[in-house]
Order: sequence, then C-alpha cells, then structure tokens
Amino acid sequence: MSDPILTVEGLKAYYRVGQFGKNLDIRAVDDVTMQIERGEIYGIAGESSSGKTSLIKVLAAAIRPPLQVIDGSVRYDFGGRIIDPTKASKAELAEIRWKHLSYIMQGSMSVLNPVRRIEQTFRDFAQRPLGLSGAAFRARVEEHLDHLKLPTSVLRSYPHELSGGMRQRVTIGLATVCRPEFMIADEPTTALDVVVQKEVLSLLRTVQQEMGASIIFVTHDMSVHANMTDRIGIVYAGRLVEEGPTRTLFTQPKHPYTAHLVASLPMIGDTRPRPALEGRPPSLADPPKGCRFHPRCPMATEICSREVPPLESVGDRHRSACWHADEVRPLVEPAFDKAAGGVRA
Amino acid sequence: MRGYFLFAAKRFLQLAVVVFAGTSAAFLVAHFSPISPVETIIGRVSGQSSFSPTAVESLRATLTELFGYDQPLWQQYLNFWGRFIQGDLGPSLIAFPTPAMELVMRALPWTVGLLTVAIVISWILGNLLGGLAGYFQDNRILKSIGVVAIGIQPIPYYIIAFLLVILFGYVWPVMPISGGFAMSVRPAWSVDFVLSVLWHSLLPAFSLVVAGIGTWFFGMRALVSNIVTEDYVTYADLAGVDRRTVVGGYVMRNALVPQLTALAMALGGIFSGTIITEQVFNYPGLGSLLIRAVNGGDSGLVLAVSCVAVIAVASAIFIIDLLHPLLDPRVRVG
Repeated sequence: MSDPILTVEGLKAYYRVGQFGKNLDIRAVDDVTMQIERGEIYGIAGESSSGKTSLIKVLAAAIRPPLQVIDGSVRYDFGGRIIDPTKASKAELAEIRWKHLSYIMQGSMSVLNPVRRIEQTFRDFAQRPLGLSGAAFRARVEEHLDHLKLPTSVLRSYPHELSGGMRQRVTIGLATVCRPEFMIADEPTTALDVVVQKEVLSLLRTVQQEMGASIIFVTHDMSVHANMTDRIGIVYAGRLVEEGPTRTLFTQPKHPYTAHLVASLPMIGDTRPRPALEGRPPSLADPPKGCRFHPRCPMATEICSREVPPLESVGDRHRSACWHADEVRPLVEPAFDKAAGGVRA
Repeated sequence: MRGYFLFAAKRFLQLAVVVFAGTSAAFLVAHFSPISPVETIIGRVSGQSSFSPTAVESLRATLTELFGYDQPLWQQYLNFWGRFIQGDLGPSLIAFPTPAMELVMRALPWTVGLLTVAIVISWILGNLLGGLAGYFQDNRILKSIGVVAIGIQPIPYYIIAFLLVILFGYVWPVMPISGGFAMSVRPAWSVDFVLSVLWHSLLPAFSLVVAGIGTWFFGMRALVSNIVTEDYVTYADLAGVDRRTVVGGYVMRNALVPQLTALAMALGGIFSGTIITEQVFNYPGLGSLLIRAVNGGDSGLVLAVSCVAVIAVASAIFIIDLLHPLLDPRVRVG
C-alpha cells in the first residue's frame, strides 16, 4: 500500500566550516531515514537548533555553503518523475519548483517583496509553472483566491497594506496556486496570534485535502502538531529519534524525549507542575557519544553512552531510537483530544 | 490622488521657504562683504588714467546710485527681491556692465552638461557593477573591480584630474586639456562645434566619472548584500523565479530607492559647479566663474551663483520628494 512521494535514506548534511586551519563539522542532519506518503501531513518537531531547518533546506534543495550533503539520498516521486534535489541540476530543479514542490516560509511579514504588488508576485512565481499568460493567468489566480475565500482585491495591494494573517493566507494562496504535490511548511503560523493561527491552519488543511498534496509541516509547537499532522517525526540534535502517527506519539511515546515534549503541553484547568528536562541540547559540532539524548535522559544507562540506538519499529508505523523504548511511559495522562480540539475534522 | 496633490502643495511651500531663506542669507553675506564694488570700479578706472577729484566724486555718486547703496538696507533688500523675481541680479563687476545673471546663464550649460553626463554615467555604472558585485559575491571579475575601486576611491578627484592632464596632455599628448571647445571652431549649432565640445569634455568627464563611481559602487554593493539575505529574495529563489527577475525586480529594484535619492542630491549639487575640476581643465563653467567672481570681489556675481545653486538643490530635493511615494509604495503620502 505504500506509495511514498518522498524517500529519505541515511541523509547526512553538515555545515562544514574551516576555523583557524581546522575543519569543523556541525552535524545538523545526521543519518535521517524517512518516508512521506502521498496526501499525508508529516510533522517535524524538535526544539530550536535541533536541525529541523537544515533538514528542510536539504529537502527544498536550498543547500548553500557551508551546508553540504555528506551522504545519503533524497528521492521525490512526482507521478513517475523521480528527482533527487541534492544531485539534480539547476535547470531540473527550476522545472519542479512551484509546479510540484512549493514552500511556505516562516515570517509572513517579510517573504513578499515590499515594492511589488501581490499580482506581480503571483506573476513572478506562478506564470512559468502554470504556462498561462495575460488574462487567462489572471483569471486562474482570481479563481484560486476566490476558492480560498480571499478577496481578489488583494492582488492590487502591496504587502504592507495587508494584515499579518492576510499576508500569510496570501502566501498559502501563492504556494498552492500551481497545485503542487508536495509542500514544505516551515513554521507557517509561528508569528501569528492563536485566532489567526487557527484560520490559517484550517485553510492550509482544506487546500491540502482538496489537492491531495503531501505536506512536511515543521513547528516546535506541539499543539499545532496535534491539530494538523497525520504523523510526526521528532528530531533531536540532528537525528530522528522517534516517528509515528500523531495520536500514538501523544498517547504512547516510546522515546523519553518525546514523552517530555508531549508532557510540556499546557492544558486548560491542569495546574500540576510539568516535569522539565535538565540541561540544554548538545552542540552539534561535538555531539555526545552513543545516544545524543543520554546526558539529559532520566532513564539513561551505560549502553546509552556507548552505542547509538537504531531507529526500530515499536508498533504500527511507529519507530523509536531508544535502548529502553519498552520502558517509556507517558509522563502525564494522555490528553491528545484536548490538544487537538480545534482544526482536526 | 487628491492626497498626493495636497502633499505636493505642502512640499512646494517647503521649497519656497527654503529658497527664500537661502537667498536671503546669500544676500546678507554678499552685502556685508568688506569689498565695495563701487570703490573697486573707481580704483580700476582711475588707475588707468588721471581724473579730477570732482569727476571721481560724480562717478562714485553715479555708481552708488546704480548699485542702490544710497538706500537703507531694508530698501535694498526689497529691491533685490523685486529684481530677483524678474531674474535680474544687477550688473556684474568683473565684466561690467554685463548683468551677473547673463554671465551665470552663459556658464551654466557648460557645467550642467558636463556634470549631468558625468554623474549619470558614474551612477549607472557604479550601481550596475556594485549591484552585481553584491549579488554574485563569488565572481572573480566583480571582486577584482571591487579591489580596483578601493584603490581609486581615496584619491582626491583633483589628483585624478591632474594625472589625466599629465598623461594625456604631456606624456602622450592626444587629448585637449584646456577650454570647452577648440579655438578654431565657431560656437554654433554645427557638427564641428558639437564634436569639438564632446572631445574637450572627455577628459574632465572621465576624471569625474572615475572619482565618482566608487561611492556608488560601494553604496550599492553594501545595499545589495543586505538585500540578498532578505526573506523575499530567498523565497523567490526557492520558488524557482527566473534569475533575471530576481536580480532585477527583487534585488536591484529594492536597493535603488536610496540610491535615487542620492542621485538627485548629486544632480542638485551640480549648480554650484566643480570648482577644482573646472580650474584644472580651464573649463568655462560655473566653478570657474565663481572663482573669478571671488577673486575680483564681485559680490553681485557671487550672489547670483549662490542663488542659482540654492534654487537648484532645493528643486532637486523637491522633485525627489514628489517621486518617492511612486518609487517606494511604503512611503506614505501625507
């Protein structure tokens, strides 16, 4: 039944910086293997500087020095057209961008060119992939905006004339106008207040369901994950430490880091103190030996500091990289349905 | 649109105030100059032949009346404005009795022509190269242009002018180094004359371009290397937007707004002339005229040159203020 649109195998991407004649590798993405199905929303969660953004950069083929792909492969399958963004030529990439693979970026305030009207931006971004021009193009864009319940008058506006929420909705319109099969959403709602956030999320979800597109959805906000994603991959210090269906991860985490992450979610009416993790995430230039989480892990034993735990199946579509996966229990009683109260249909 | 006209009207009022204050200041400075034009003329005339004291006395009275010095200051000031509005700033001294304004108008086309061409060329070249150097930061050719520009930038423009005169006037004498056109050509709208003017303006213009290009180059390079890290440029790249559109419409276009303002200021500054360049190349422009006026104690002519400069700079700023809301939609009209 598996029909992955994206297959990542053993991907290693390092920031290679020369410092005082010494080469330093910052292992932002280290041995990541995952698959994303057609029509699925796959969440990537993890704290700041865990390598989320670097992973996204590789997947979006936005690799710029000092970031380099050291090993592994990335494979998109756009309806039979196979492409590896880490090896493809610029011309090949230009052909798939926006047509098959689009991107919703963090910071809706600054992703639109301030001196161009929205219509001109649509023209720059979508005219070539859509292969339409003039009135036909304009009609297609208006129809699309109409469909997203956005007023077509935004086309005549400059970005600064729109509110933050409206701007992010315009960005979603821009990213979906070519009906791509795959979208990468990097913290699309982080700068918005919760009311606007909910609207933007349901818009994104509606469009995604209609088009049957896959989305990689990156955010550190676990409640957004509970609302949006079908599956989640938890990233810690450049590694994928656990992966599974969203509900399973919230109710039966099999990695102590996930258990803490889920437990950190505040619930209305629940005033119990949350168990916090000691310490900080490790330096990616010199990560700890063995399991990268072991210096902060309350369950760590001797093997954890010695050997890297493999990412192994612990249930239905559920994988965890922990030597003690069997012993992990949720830290607070599962409250997934409360967290996912909003958008999920 | 109504808002825009209101805004334009307000700015025009501002322009009027600036011109009024500037010319008034220039009038006062010229008036309190220790050199009296009357005594200077008398000195010049009586130095050549002997006059009877009564003749000198009546000459002095005539001249004092001509320049209006017998009236109180406020009356002179009002007269000045009365004549100023008609474009008359009294007779000049160094070319008495040619009106000062006529001398200015005669010198103006030379300076304006030379400087406009030089500034526009250095602006276009500097911004184009600087913009490309900021965008393609690894390009070898653009990098070496940057190194050359850093080398030339600190050299004062008059040194460059002298170097050019020495190189092309003495070491390898192929270019004219003095005057606005060849002596053998009559000033008229003929092909010969125009060619001669162009040929003569080549060296001074080149010295100004070489001296001016660095500022634009570095300014633009710095602006662009900031803009390429902006999210909207990254986003356009990620979307596979055509490279030329990104460079032109996203990077250069956005960096151009402050550079255009600076261009207007530079163009406004034209009217005070480039004193040293014109002196080096003996060019018949405003700068040379100003030097002659100062040396000859001709306060009326200095006043005329100053007034033209005040009006030109203020107008340039006025025009750019009017253009700004059109260039950058974020600039609110109001």
